Amino acid sequence: MSDVIAHPGRDAHAAHHPAQQHHFDTMPQQKEAAVLGMWVFLLTEILFFGGLFVAYMIYRVWYFEAFAEASRRLSLFWGGLNTAVLIGSSLTMALAVRAAQTNNRKWTVNWLALTMLLGCVFLGVKVIEYEDKFANYEVPGANYNWLYHEQHAAAEGHEGGAEAAAAGEHRQLRMTPEQLQRTTQLYFSLYFTMTGLHALHMIIGVGLMLVITWMAWKGRFDSEYYTPVEMGGLYWHFVDIVWIFLFPLLYLVERHT
Amino acid sequence: MSDHVSPISLYLTIFFALMIGTALTVAAAFVNLGTFNFPVAMLIAVFKASLVVWYFMHMKYQSHLTKLSLATGLFFLAILLGMMLIDYTSKDFTPMPPLIESTSLIGGTH
Repeated sequence: MSDVIAHPGRDAHAAHHPAQQHHFDTMPQQKEAAVLGMWVFLLTEILFFGGLFVAYMIYRVWYFEAFAEASRRLSLFWGGLNTAVLIGSSLTMALAVRAAQTNNRKWTVNWLALTMLLGCVFLGVKVIEYEDKFANYEVPGANYNWLYHEQHAAAEGHEGGAEAAAAGEHRQLRMTPEQLQRTTQLYFSLYFTMTGLHALHMIIGVGLMLVITWMAWKGRFDSEYYTPVEMGGLYWHFVDIVWIFLFPLLYLVERHT
Repeated sequence: MSDHVSPISLYLTIFFALMIGTALTVAAAFVNLGTFNFPVAMLIAVFKASLVVWYFMHMKYQSHLTKLSLATGLFFLAILLGMMLIDYTSKDFTPMPPLIESTSLIGGTH
């Protein structure tokens, strides 16, 4: 029987918000528990990516020249565009949470849909970038060929490739092509691992957004209860933050020479 | 409480600040700052991340408990990064790889 355990403020079942669970006294208490729990989860994510950042830093210190050379193989245009897209999606996510806070169901759904769209644009750009890496034999493994990019460009008479080769000579690399063939694979291994795990988080994020958008569409949220929108937002912003660090670390190792 | 509703203008301001930060980090990468290229890039990234955490993720309006939890996590991240790098860059028992005799943490070769 529920009235065996007397608890102040809890017997009035009809009075509380339908989304309030019975083990919480108030909605703000429930909200704070959710926020704290989400942040603890995000901290494990920070340390999870942190391990990869440590691996990146150690190899970057050891083989800086290889990292600098390999980093130039990434397209600043696509990388910069994706950074802008992701920051834009963080804005739309923040506005979706705000719309939920202010009981605006229509715009909660709209901003969430736009967030998912921008997330998909990001992933699409990532596909273009990965495709280019595969086409140029820049994926670590048996078919990896560091020199293919320059040789291929030179053979086809592309100015970019010739310029890149000339710039490479200008930089007076201390590593031989054989050494670069080995060490730049470390860079690309980390590139694919870090951006791949980031992209996996994006895919999961879009999946979460789909569910939350559906819930918002069904009218599950109001200004008192919008916890799933807020938690989805925390996750989405976290993934954005990871990219904020990945962009300079992977795309901008050394661009000034 | 986290139920604080921020004005739209604040979100737009943060958005533009993040975009400017992105432009700055790209621009800074093309300037030869010597050993300072890496710290400058990381400084901008940390600043951008802080803006996202503080305003987009509403950390500004959270309880001390939540703020302290984040601080704890970042503290352990600092240990993870700091201690590992100290070990790998300064100790004899983790020698530098044979290919390169000297490279520096910040990126400049010497």
